[in-house]
Amino acid sequence: MDGIVSALQFAVNAVAQQQQATANNLANTDTPGFTGQDVSFEQSLQQAIDAPNGGTATVTVSADPAPPASNGNNVDTATQLVNGQQETLQYQTMVEMLNAQFRLVAGSTGGSFT
Amino acid sequence: MSLFGSLSISGSGVDAAQTWLNTIAGNIANMNDVSKTDQAAYGAQAPVFMPNAIPGQVGDGVAVAGIQEGDTTGIVQYDPTSPQADAQGLVRVPDVQLSSQMVNMIQAQTDFQANTSALADAKTAYQSALTLGT
Repeated sequence: MDGIVSALQFAVNAVAQQQQATANNLANTDTPGFTGQDVSFEQSLQQAIDAPNGGTATVTVSADPAPPASNGNNVDTATQLVNGQQETLQYQTMVEMLNAQFRLVAGSTGGSFT
Repeated sequence: MSLFGSLSISGSGVDAAQTWLNTIAGNIANMNDVSKTDQAAYGAQAPVFMPNAIPGQVGDGVAVAGIQEGDTTGIVQYDPTSPQADAQGLVRVPDVQLSSQMVNMIQAQTDFQANTSALADAKTAYQSALTLGT
């Protein structure tokens, strides 16, 4: 129970950072020489969950490996827009999961399940 | 990163695109300027974008570092009826191409739209976060 909440909490924060990276990449679509940023956390979180004695998950910021265009910028606007949508849905899903957990706690401690 | 960081990042992108649109509007408005041959012509303006980079972290949007002024040599034309014409009937006009300005405008517009779209995404996510525990 506690593990679920802390995993979700970590993931919500990590997706918020992904969303910031997407916003930053989109803000710089016409900045010459700009290299896009990727934020990843999934593998690290999976490893932390699988670790028998509990591990620590980390959020990694890395450079987008895509080849740069003639102005040295490697941001693909379409990809970033799709990422933005995906991250928003992921964020909402995880918030809903957290709320479901909270409702379980509320219900089992004498409150309402709904 | 501040609370609601994505909003300020997208805001900086919208600002940058707006600055670009403003310079394009200025360039098109001044396309038909006429100056004396011993004066400089209007030079097309373009914003210089710089990323607000933070080493090892997600960047903090974009900034307009300045406005770059293009070539003011312009083109010398024969227009003896112009009040700006010199003794040979020559005037200097800006070397601003409408086609390239229009292409830039489409790019700036798309830029603006992409940033407002990211802004809307971030708003939806943050709004859902506000429902936590309710």
